Amino acid sequence: MSLLEVSNLHTHFISHDLNNNLRVAKGLNGVTFDVDRGEVVGIVGETGAGKSLTAMSIMGLLQSPARIVEGSVRFDGSELVGLSTDELNRIRGTELTMIVQSPLTSLDPLSRVGKQLVRAQREHRNISQAEAWANGVQTMTTVGIPEPERRMRAWPHELSGGMAQRVLIALALINGPRLIIADEPTTGLDVTVQAQILDLLRDLVRDREMGAMIITHDLGVVAHYCTRICVMFAGSIIETGPVRQVFNDPRHPYTQALISSTPKRIAEKGYGQIGGPPPNLYALPAGCHYRDRCSRAADICHQSPPVQDVGGSQQARCHFATDTKTAAATVHHG
Amino acid sequence: MTEVASTPAPERGFTWSGRALGITRRSPTFAIGLIIVGIFAFVAIFADVISPFGPIETFPHQVLLPPSAAFWFGSDGNGMDMFSRVMHGARFGFGIAVPSAIIMLVIGVPLGLVAGYKGGMVDEIVLRSMDVLRSFPSIVLALAVVAATGQSLVNVVLVIGFLDAPIFTRLVRSEVLALRSSGFVDSAVASGNPTWRILFVHLLPNAIRGSTAMIAVRMAWAVRISATLAFIGVGIQAPTPEWGAMIRQGAEFIISGEWWVALFPGVALVGIVLGFNLLGDGLQDLLDPRRKATGK
Amino acid sequence: MVEPILRVRNLVKHFPGSQPGETIHAVNDVSFDLLPGETVGLVGESGSGKSTIGRCVLRLYRPTDGSIQFGERDITTISERQMRPLRKDIQIVFQDPYSALNPRMKVGNLIGELVKLHSDLGAAERRETVAALAARVHLNADLLTRFPNELSGGQLQRVCIARALATGPKVIVLDEPTSSLDLSVRAGILELLGELQRDTGVSMLFISHDLETVELVSHRILVLYLGSVVEDGPSKAVFAKPSHPYSQALLSADLPPDPDVVLDRKILQGEVPGPVHLPPGCPFEPRCPLARPDCRQAKPSPAAIGDKHHAACVRVADGTNDISNAEPLGDGNTHKKLQDQLIGRTS
Repeated sequence: MSLLEVSNLHTHFISHDLNNNLRVAKGLNGVTFDVDRGEVVGIVGETGAGKSLTAMSIMGLLQSPARIVEGSVRFDGSELVGLSTDELNRIRGTELTMIVQSPLTSLDPLSRVGKQLVRAQREHRNISQAEAWANGVQTMTTVGIPEPERRMRAWPHELSGGMAQRVLIALALINGPRLIIADEPTTGLDVTVQAQILDLLRDLVRDREMGAMIITHDLGVVAHYCTRICVMFAGSIIETGPVRQVFNDPRHPYTQALISSTPKRIAEKGYGQIGGPPPNLYALPAGCHYRDRCSRAADICHQSPPVQDVGGSQQARCHFATDTKTAAATVHHG
Repeated sequence: MTEVASTPAPERGFTWSGRALGITRRSPTFAIGLIIVGIFAFVAIFADVISPFGPIETFPHQVLLPPSAAFWFGSDGNGMDMFSRVMHGARFGFGIAVPSAIIMLVIGVPLGLVAGYKGGMVDEIVLRSMDVLRSFPSIVLALAVVAATGQSLVNVVLVIGFLDAPIFTRLVRSEVLALRSSGFVDSAVASGNPTWRILFVHLLPNAIRGSTAMIAVRMAWAVRISATLAFIGVGIQAPTPEWGAMIRQGAEFIISGEWWVALFPGVALVGIVLGFNLLGDGLQDLLDPRRKATGK
Repeated sequence: MVEPILRVRNLVKHFPGSQPGETIHAVNDVSFDLLPGETVGLVGESGSGKSTIGRCVLRLYRPTDGSIQFGERDITTISERQMRPLRKDIQIVFQDPYSALNPRMKVGNLIGELVKLHSDLGAAERRETVAALAARVHLNADLLTRFPNELSGGQLQRVCIARALATGPKVIVLDEPTSSLDLSVRAGILELLGELQRDTGVSMLFISHDLETVELVSHRILVLYLGSVVEDGPSKAVFAKPSHPYSQALLSADLPPDPDVVLDRKILQGEVPGPVHLPPGCPFEPRCPLARPDCRQAKPSPAAIGDKHHAACVRVADGTNDISNAEPLGDGNTHKKLQDQLIGRTS
């Protein structure tokens, strides 16, 4: 049994437009993946693919008009979908925590850092102020914040970007979680600081035997910090597998396009298959959602492609996954 | 900033009833406010046609009659039909609200644009002047102006418009500041736009969006102020069928039991103010970016 | 010898800080040339001043000191009115197309606006020009009647490029043009830019924090730190042999999207300090693992390393500028060392 098991998750945005027509945007269409202890799973995809939506669905943080309409999320065997807010709050912030993208807007601007760290603990368990404070200092040290006692009294706006991100990580760690979800944890940080934060995350996951999910659009982060990769497109995972394998032998045309569109590959091989306009979640094409942009699309793609095993726990959702790569590059502009 | 997720499908299925339902669903407050204001507007426009009698037509032998089949709202101390007078009063409501709103915008918006765009000393001067204006209690200043210049409707309208202009200056100014910090203005300058184009073609349509709700609310305020002034005895005088003046008249009769003389204009006043306020609130609901349905 | 189209000398730009008496030293003595038909990349992290330089060149800011020569003309202190007619020759593409464009104007009119402002063409001719521009940037003509919020980021950035091209400029400044776009879309934009440069010979100033992108598109690059140029040279040379300790650290921190590449990371301590209190002497000295006492005395002048390749570091002279020889740094696994030695930003 894995630490986190997401099965066939469907999340839709259901609303009425100004003409009173029902509009349904299918944000997630059958997302299935697992995260185990000690694993770092990287979720990549373009904007609108559903990466953050997956994290929000798992954490039960969806707001109207978004709703989980089908599927299950099991954390350590127990089902999270359908739990009440109180029940969810026992797990969120303690065993299952999340770090988000912009730390400076995620911290409470009206409380000092130390107070937030103490609050995060006392919300969930019976612990004295003094002990919670001491834990806070300890955790600040763990995440590499110098002079932690002094920093506990700092206001969020006094922190730099990297420092604030460390505080968010401290908040996520302080109750000893078993799984941490990091949504674009280093976007917006300087390159030199990114390295520090990612190393920190990696070491923590390893030392504490946690599971981690890193959501990012940066393939470099996935290549060097993740053990497995899940590539998302239009709300489903179209390819997954061990990082090295997927990078060296991508089987889904979208993954292939993604990997070939990095500057280094362009420098080597020139501009090849290029991305197209984002899929319309209100009107996804029947069958394979990628077929409007795919150079290999054929008649069979009007049927929903099965998830094919490609070997070595790599899987791709494509009719042609098991064929060896061919496909002349076609240029789509978007 | 991350990209917008998917290109929204172009609008389909437009029908008037669909649109009405869609808007009502999005903001019931707006729908109710619109209906109320709509009814009053209709009455104001067609008062001559709808009312059974003239607004100052007197029936000297039918003074202070309670509501009946002949006089739906009863008659007042001069023998005038309350119903007709209340209907015509709606004209004053709009006649004050709309011109004041126009004056507020004409004075307030350009000042806000310039203050926000230029910054520096110009901004300081505009802001401080607006602060001075806002620190006057409106009723007192209105009283003073009207007393000094004569009791006319035009003066009331001007005073109210002038005093409320700073609200729009502030609103527009903060929108302009937000647009400046987002690179919007830099882009317009870099394209080679002359200043007037930046202010009126680019900034104005975008900066005024946040003010639309406030316009409705200020209109409600304008009606209240003028009614208050008339009630105190300043501005508009009997036998003009303005609701505030009518309530003043009716106040004398409440104690002696002729409740209808004050009640009906009172209800009308409350109604139109409520309508404008709901309209303003509702507009805020509709225009608020949080309503956007698609998330990431 | 080709005359540079843009010549920046000793550019300084300071802003008043939030507290009275404080100054933000955004750009401190930057000089470079831009030749016709070439792309110069400005690389740096936050506080490097790269965006400010771009805006100074466009005279969206007025330089505090130094000079900017555009063609024959000194544009350093001219008024906005004098600058306006020159704007057809020097354009900019911003990072976020959504906030740069008027959301209430249709895309076709947004492109047409540039044509209208800088030419006397009638409405029909303008429409033709706009259609031609849209085709040039591979933008579907149907999109011209839409509003900006109806287009995707990639499509909208093409609109911005069409606007920048509309007047036939000699220089285009690109401020992080692909940073807010999805990976799969970036390549398309970069390819378009390359195509346009080949066809029109326009010069580009490419500002970005993404090293790989800059390496791909630039002929020469300038590495910036706290408002000063720490290294400059042909992009291949700088990437092959970064000579300034900061460039070495910066380039080594880059994460190539290839799991088989072995990382040789030189992770710096701490973060970029604020631009209010500049270190005396070399701006990088407080964080530099190779710092020496004489680094504090004066800001190092650029020392030659190769053909047109310079690094502003005192250690270049005696060849001791290789950061791998520095003590506290090693490979990427410095987490434990960070606990002891981090220098955070002081509040």
